Amino acid sequence: MFKIATIIRHLSRPGGRCYGLLLAFLMSFPAHAADDVAALLKKADAYRLPAQAVRVETVVELYRNDTLDKERRYTVYIKPGRRSLVLMKSPAEIGQKVLMLADQFWLLMPDTQRPLRITASQKLLGEAAAGDVATMTWSEDYDGKVSGESEIDGEACLHLDLAAVRPGVTYTRVELYLDKRSKRPVKADLYVSSGKRAKEARYETRTVDGQPRVMAMTLHDDIQPNRRTVVRYLNIQAKEAPDEFFNPAALVRNSLAGW
Amino acid sequence: MAFPSPGFPLSNPLPQVGEGTCAQGMGKGDNAGLRYLIPLLLCSFAACAGEFNAALTLAPEWRGMETASPYYVAPPLVAAGRRAMRSDLELRYRDGGLNAQGTLRGNAREGESAQTKGILNQLYFDGESGAGSGYTAGKKVLSWGVGQGFRPLDLIQREDRRQLNPPPLEGVPLLAWQRYDAADSLTVAWSNPGYGAAALDRDDPGIAAYWYRLAERDDLHAVARISRRHKLEAGAGWARALGEEWTFHAAALYQRRGLTPLNTLAENGGTPLAAADPMQESARDGAVKAVAGMQWTGRAGFGVLLEGWYDGEAWTREQWRRLDALAATQHGLAAAVPQSWVDGNLAWSSRAFEYPNLLRENLLLRLSYEEENWKTHLEWLSTPRDGGLVTSAAATWQGDRQRVSFGLRHPGGAAGSAYARSPQARMAFVEWRYALR
Repeated sequence: MFKIATIIRHLSRPGGRCYGLLLAFLMSFPAHAADDVAALLKKADAYRLPAQAVRVETVVELYRNDTLDKERRYTVYIKPGRRSLVLMKSPAEIGQKVLMLADQFWLLMPDTQRPLRITASQKLLGEAAAGDVATMTWSEDYDGKVSGESEIDGEACLHLDLAAVRPGVTYTRVELYLDKRSKRPVKADLYVSSGKRAKEARYETRTVDGQPRVMAMTLHDDIQPNRRTVVRYLNIQAKEAPDEFFNPAALVRNSLAGW
Repeated sequence: MAFPSPGFPLSNPLPQVGEGTCAQGMGKGDNAGLRYLIPLLLCSFAACAGEFNAALTLAPEWRGMETASPYYVAPPLVAAGRRAMRSDLELRYRDGGLNAQGTLRGNAREGESAQTKGILNQLYFDGESGAGSGYTAGKKVLSWGVGQGFRPLDLIQREDRRQLNPPPLEGVPLLAWQRYDAADSLTVAWSNPGYGAAALDRDDPGIAAYWYRLAERDDLHAVARISRRHKLEAGAGWARALGEEWTFHAAALYQRRGLTPLNTLAENGGTPLAAADPMQESARDGAVKAVAGMQWTGRAGFGVLLEGWYDGEAWTREQWRRLDALAATQHGLAAAVPQSWVDGNLAWSSRAFEYPNLLRENLLLRLSYEEENWKTHLEWLSTPRDGGLVTSAAATWQGDRQRVSFGLRHPGGAAGSAYARSPQARMAFVEWRYALR
């Protein structure tokens, strides 16, 4: 069995000019593979986030034995650079805000009017973590490889094995299944840092304004199979809120009125 | 000699655990007009275009009295207050930059007639004065700095962080200007504009500045304030999240003038009984307050908070010893003077238990667990100088519209500690809150 290093040494030896081109060709494979994954993730992201800066009206539903147990509503502002601002709209949480800047989170409670640092793992509702609601892309956070093909619910899918490229993302590893033809996200297995699978996510696509969009994500819990959390994206609108609204100290202001 | 009439402590009841300056401040909005005007005004907003929210809260509580405490004074000189009920109808309205929050509160306490009052918690307007700058005018809750059990940089709001079941905060009248971009923020606030000399920090007029910077992974805070009571105050704070589970924070404040209410009889000696309130504020140059802590939050819902703080305006162990010695002397005089004279003085002294921090050095350990609808915590507050210990436990269940909380607090620790000698014994509460809309 040849070792890669042996092959490279052999191809690179002096006088091996004709092998040089072959070497360059072989060396280019990993880069192409990475480019392929990046391109696949960007295509998959486009189903979830149609513009770089958006305002998303989100509802999170927690079902127990297929019966709706709880519901929470959020308005989410997302900007490039992994910036998200979540405004909570349900009566039980009205006035609360969560700001996400890359892997850093702040929570503002309306009673104290003081931004408080929280961690990504602090949950909003059911199986939905703050990161599940505030993050809608993979391409900025993950890289990996196409590890094969699988059939999910009768659909031929590409199986991507992704690892986080940044610290502090909600899930350190994601096994993502994209529809082989359209690259539409179908399913994801979400793993935490311990290596354990935390959730399974299923993506529901509908046509909005003539474009196919992911309009719901259902999270299943492995430990409590009678529970599922559905994150529905009621309205996704291209909107660029000013940078200063993403300052933790500005959370105490009502500056987003009209945005 | 004119000693306090039996009615005195009834109008200034024994401080209740968890009722500090915030509760006193509530009285500002208490008059017959506000009682009905605020709810009517806010209800009328319901027909307007903005966001209108209403919530009903019922919060019964039970407070035990420690009859063995040297500071215990029997009713009726001090109200027993064993059972009480707070009923709040809280109304909020928000439309653009306009924010209003008011409460119609009913208070019923065992042995006293029920009272209702209207409280204007907040009424302010946030306006924009250009890109990245804005102003605030009105009464607003404005909290600054870092810390869980103690926040030395909270120069305007100055809330008591040690209340077991605090009512909604009441803001401070202010005019403020703020400039902010993606990483920096500067706020200049004139609090209590037009107010004269005040007996309480929260009513003290002053000009304050607050600077915040998000520097990579660090929150940096700096504050400065000039006021009548404290002259110059200046401080800085820091917070950082490390990974997905750890947060760290620290802050320190220097006060040009520190103010501590002390019993003049205990501090100055002389006659052991006073004819007028001997609890007088004592000023000293240069007081320091500081806090440092860390918090771990695991994915499974468990959390640990460890925090220590130093409050340079709180009492020292020696000051408590002198007050204990005074109380012992006053008890010794019971055979020679009318009991009401002794009881009146003890009631005055017992106000020392009202302060948020009984001693300067404090350590807090809180274990918490959250799972879906439930949040629970168990915590211990220790005063290592005298071995005092306060144990608290609480749980909250949050539904779609309803929230139920209940908890217990028990002061104790070493026999000679301030908490163990408190006339307050254990306390329990239940709170039911229903979001009407």
